[in-house]
Amino acid sequence: MPVIKNEYQGRKPDEFRILLGLEGYPDSRNIKTYIEKSNGYKALEKVLKGGMSSEDVINTVKASGLRGRGGAGFPTGLKWSFVPKGPGEKYLITNFDEGEPGTYKDCYISEVTPHSLVEGKIIASYAIGAKKSYIYIRGEFHNEIRWCQEAIKEAYAAGYLGENIMGSGFTHHMDVYSGAGAYICGEETGLISSLEGKKGQPKLKPPFPAIKGYLGKPTVVNNVESLAVVPWIINNGPEAYKKFGTEKSPGTKLFNVSGPIAKPGCYELPLGYPLMRFINEDCGGLIGGKKLKAIIPGGSSAPALTAKECENLTLDYEAIAGAGSMLGSGAIIVIPEDVSMVSVLENLMDFYAHESCGQCTPCREGTGWLYKISKHILKGKGTKTDMDRMYSIANNMRGKTICVLSDAAADPARAIVTKFAHEFEPYLKG
Amino acid sequence: MPIFSPELTKTIEGFLTRYETKRSSILPILHAIQDEKDWISDEDIDALEKNFGLSAVDVREVLTFYTMYRQTPPKPYRFEVCKSISCWLMGANDTIKTLRHEIEKAEKEGRPLPFEIHGVECLGQCGYAPSTLINKDRHNNVTPEKALQLLKEYSAKELPKAAVLCATNLAAKAQK
Repeated sequence: MPVIKNEYQGRKPDEFRILLGLEGYPDSRNIKTYIEKSNGYKALEKVLKGGMSSEDVINTVKASGLRGRGGAGFPTGLKWSFVPKGPGEKYLITNFDEGEPGTYKDCYISEVTPHSLVEGKIIASYAIGAKKSYIYIRGEFHNEIRWCQEAIKEAYAAGYLGENIMGSGFTHHMDVYSGAGAYICGEETGLISSLEGKKGQPKLKPPFPAIKGYLGKPTVVNNVESLAVVPWIINNGPEAYKKFGTEKSPGTKLFNVSGPIAKPGCYELPLGYPLMRFINEDCGGLIGGKKLKAIIPGGSSAPALTAKECENLTLDYEAIAGAGSMLGSGAIIVIPEDVSMVSVLENLMDFYAHESCGQCTPCREGTGWLYKISKHILKGKGTKTDMDRMYSIANNMRGKTICVLSDAAADPARAIVTKFAHEFEPYLKG
Repeated sequence: MPIFSPELTKTIEGFLTRYETKRSSILPILHAIQDEKDWISDEDIDALEKNFGLSAVDVREVLTFYTMYRQTPPKPYRFEVCKSISCWLMGANDTIKTLRHEIEKAEKEGRPLPFEIHGVECLGQCGYAPSTLINKDRHNNVTPEKALQLLKEYSAKELPKAAVLCATNLAAKAQK
């Protein structure tokens, strides 16, 4: 069994606070608390007044091994380095379109420590040379929109945003942009289209946004969590960050736990933490002492793992990929023994059929068919052929569309249909 | 009667200069219109084209793509219950069923309630499931019992300004 790295073995989740250090403070969102209790804006000062070049910032983040926390896990510093150097408009956009079922960590960051995001955004913008940045946030997040706006306002008032910040010559402006109820806007090119005032439909890559993004200009799109941890890395150095986590997945990560579990919530853990220890000890196990049937480890688009597959599994990108699923956004959904996986499939496919943007035929038709067939089976009207048909549809959706929403529906469907085939039998007519 | 109030006109003008392009301001403008009037009508789209130079086609493209925009007059309170996986596992369907039953019952008894019930996709509050929104207010851990309690609380409140304006505009239109 892989072990948690070095001295962190045996400790509890609340001992790994990098990002959630302000958790529990009644006025944690206030800039004063952030400055006094969390070294707030010290990293920005170190960058702007300490003579760090944009290259130094990028190299520090690269050296930390920070991987994007939105789902794909792409190295953050590397992403920043793709932006062309030199003059010209560039943009940084925070992807706060958190809509993946099971995921609510970005909401929690804005609830506990929105200034970490604001400070991280200013530093990242300095690194790529962006004078303007946006927080693109889901329209349904009325509270979070307000908290982000308040943090930005406070940062302006304190002189951390605006013209010639801290006399450094660096100018940066920040704004919040509210989406309007489309999951697909969590895909970076869909998000950019939405910010341009269009339908949030994804675009083919390349060109990647780092070269041609918002309004055709170089643009970096980063998840909230990826940016919010940047001030800590700058303050404490990449080596300190790498002390947490595993060699290939350094640092801590926010994990959301949901479903019928005793202590659901948002936890900060070092990557590589044992999954079942987390579920059974830290989260108190399943409600009513029920047995575990399956876990969806990384948001609803991650293929479900059986209870057996979860044994000895650790929470890091490599281990979960090795088990045939993905860490994704770190949203762990717990499914107990008494829930039918046929119903789980129907619920998941309902979501993806609703949220497909309709642009690519395999996704538009495929998600719809997967939903209709799973619904048909759930009503007891399906046949064995429908099982094969679902598998075939899922195979024909995968990798054949502009963005990965199609894969996000196909992979969980394939996993459930194959791993839990026996659960479908009572529903089939023959 | 002008189609937009002076405050809303000022807000729209502000959005038109706040972003890099005029088109970028369409989403915020539609949110602002809906906040004031509860929904977005054909007349509103025409006014955006005529008074503010926004292409009606561009506006309509946005309006019809995003689920948060309402193209028909709604009831004063929209009770939106998340039905995605985490909330579903924690009983969201029972909450929705209970609410629908209560509203139908009230309707039959001749005391219509000012609510419409929607099962919606993930509201991003999965650890506090089932989660709901009533207009812009978030309520978490909404069991059927808590949902009924919320119906009572909101029924006793004064109607939101937008709902009142929506009803007034519809009445004026019907009289014409």
